Amino acid sequence: MTEPIVRVGGLHKYFRRGSEQIDVLIDLSLDVPEGEYLALMGPSGSGKTTLLNLIAGLDQPSDGEIWVGDHLISAMSEAELARWRTRHVGFVFQFYHLLPVLTAYENVELPLLLLPMSAAERRQQVLTALDLVGLSDRLRHRPGQLSGGQQQRVGIARAIVTDPTLIVADEPTGDPAARSAEEILNLIVELKRGLNKTILMVTHDPRAAARAERVLHLEKGCLVRETAPV
Amino acid sequence: MSSIEECVEAALREPLYVACASVAVLLVAGAVAYYKQLRFIVKSLNRNKLRTGLTGVATAVLVFIITLIWSILWFLDLVTTEKAKDFKAIVTERWQLPSQMPVSYGNSLAEGAASRPGDIVPQDNMTWQFFGGTIDPAKRTRENIVFFFCMEPRKLLTMMDGIDEFSETDLEKLKRAISEMEKDKRKVVIGKERLEAMNKKVGERLKVTGMNYQDIDLEVEIIGEFPAGRYGQSAVMNRDYLNDAMDDYNRRLAKSKGKHPLTEKSLNLVWLKIPDTDAFRRLSEQIESSSLYTNPAVKCETASSGVASFLDAYRDLIWGMRWLLVPAILVTMSLVIANAISISVRERRTEMAVLKVLGYSPGQVMGLVLGEALLVGVVGGLLSSAGTYYFINEVMGGVKFPIAFFPAFKIPRDALWWGPMIGGLTAFAGSFAPALAARSVKVSEVFSKIS
Ligand SMILES: Nc1ncnc2c1ncn2[C@@H]1O[C@H](COP(=O)(O)OP(=O)(O)O)[C@@H](O)[C@H]1O
Ligand SMILES: [Mg+2]
Repeated sequence: MTEPIVRVGGLHKYFRRGSEQIDVLIDLSLDVPEGEYLALMGPSGSGKTTLLNLIAGLDQPSDGEIWVGDHLISAMSEAELARWRTRHVGFVFQFYHLLPVLTAYENVELPLLLLPMSAAERRQQVLTALDLVGLSDRLRHRPGQLSGGQQQRVGIARAIVTDPTLIVADEPTGDPAARSAEEILNLIVELKRGLNKTILMVTHDPRAAARAERVLHLEKGCLVRETAPV
Repeated sequence: MSSIEECVEAALREPLYVACASVAVLLVAGAVAYYKQLRFIVKSLNRNKLRTGLTGVATAVLVFIITLIWSILWFLDLVTTEKAKDFKAIVTERWQLPSQMPVSYGNSLAEGAASRPGDIVPQDNMTWQFFGGTIDPAKRTRENIVFFFCMEPRKLLTMMDGIDEFSETDLEKLKRAISEMEKDKRKVVIGKERLEAMNKKVGERLKVTGMNYQDIDLEVEIIGEFPAGRYGQSAVMNRDYLNDAMDDYNRRLAKSKGKHPLTEKSLNLVWLKIPDTDAFRRLSEQIESSSLYTNPAVKCETASSGVASFLDAYRDLIWGMRWLLVPAILVTMSLVIANAISISVRERRTEMAVLKVLGYSPGQVMGLVLGEALLVGVVGGLLSSAGTYYFINEVMGGVKFPIAFFPAFKIPRDALWWGPMIGGLTAFAGSFAPALAARSVKVSEVFSKIS
């Protein structure tokens, strides 16, 4: 077996609210092998998003170490994390969070603007990503002109366009308005197979968990159970 | 080689070009550094057109007011700042306005009435006689009237204020016109704007029927034009033409009608150049105590002292404009921009967080916010000052505010860079705090359900 791509050890995260300290993650350890599709489940408020954000380098832990590949991201500054994220993390949001003023093409292009590459390369990569999610015919559409499922596919294209080490998704099928959950899940599974990406997904959706290779259950900041998919 | 240098030099002397060039350099530099983001900045501004528009208009209105105020202050500074060296004295009739002195005063005044060895002799001099006339005696409308300064043509180059601001080519043309005027006293130079008003062109001949000089009609040929601006409405004639015409009138008609009523009254003003204030004091003493000028008596003062004492009454007002009104407007502008930008940052907290998730660093997010504000400020300021400059100077012909010999004052060319500069600086000041707020948006707070 290869070295795990994500290694989390002794992770603590607490937030302060006034004088009160809220412990969200307590002494949590976790390894994710490269190319795994891992689902995180657990009741609301159990710390799933917090854990995901820490692994994605969106926040810094109170204690403990997080390694992603060769990078000790728990020791990075905010600006270093930002630079690291550009190359290594693709994020898929529950509510898509596309920028409403930009077209599908421009939304996908956005992370590439931060990387040194020629305009032609950039264009090629954007078109490839949009092709992979099946939206080659919607390049000039604004988010407002796309259905929920289409918007999420743009969101996925934006997440994979930089060819990241990790794809991180926080309840990507969790929007109750989206009837297209099945479609999105199929796409994710397909991408995982095709591109051999490591995927971390927070989900409430049993259908999503069913397709994962491993399911972790989080409760009150601790990993309580590990199950194989049903 | 030298021609390129000359072009650059000429361009640098023209604030319009300097303003355009610096804005262009700024935009190019910004576009190079941020060219990939610029489109995003423009689109973000575009999303709330009303707010962007109102902010831009507010900036433009305030820049307009500041441009007007600064133009007045700039102009007052210019005319009241006594040059310590090389300043000019004006000799006029002492007790009467308008001043009307005998032409015979001219020669001795040019020498500063120096009579003893050791007396001050002016370095240069210029006499002014005013001849106003109409090109259509039947229809004396404003467009048909032209008002000549009758003087020695060559003094245009050495004694007239502001000729040194002419461009190289305008100055060359003027020099050629002057040598023509010296050869043929009927040839005149008229300002571009006056020519346009009269619907005349260089090369045409005019018959000017005297208005202040009854029965003195002069036929002139337009040999050149002053560029638009300070002398755009002016006209200059060789003084010999007027004086010869008066002599001729007196020769022909002395017996039948008597001498022309303005015979001993046709010298209106004498300008004298002296090296410094001390020389001025002595010159003034020399002239005012001279026995040559008793009927009428004359006075000798500096051009700016007259204006300065006139303005003394408004000192508090001017102080208030400079130190209260202008800063208050600048602060208001910053607040207007701060308000608009902070609303838009607050509305877009989630978007800022998304940008951060995608890998935009805190500094880059801050740069986007500052970029939006700067774009609105600089563009609003530039449009406003350019519009003010064009409207006040070209359409209204300057702000009517007659003091000294200026019929109206103009917005200086410098105003063209005041606008973008004020707009940019106030935008920067106003957007700094909201940009800091955008910079420190916490991704984990935006995307966590905080219960
Ligand atoms: N930035 C924050 N400040 C304070 N408390 C937070 C913050 N982020 C999350 N929390 C708290 O941490 C707990 C876990 O939140 P979260 O990770 O979003 O849960 P989940 O995604 O599992 O529903 C919640 O009680 C939440 O209120
Ligand atoms: Mg969550």
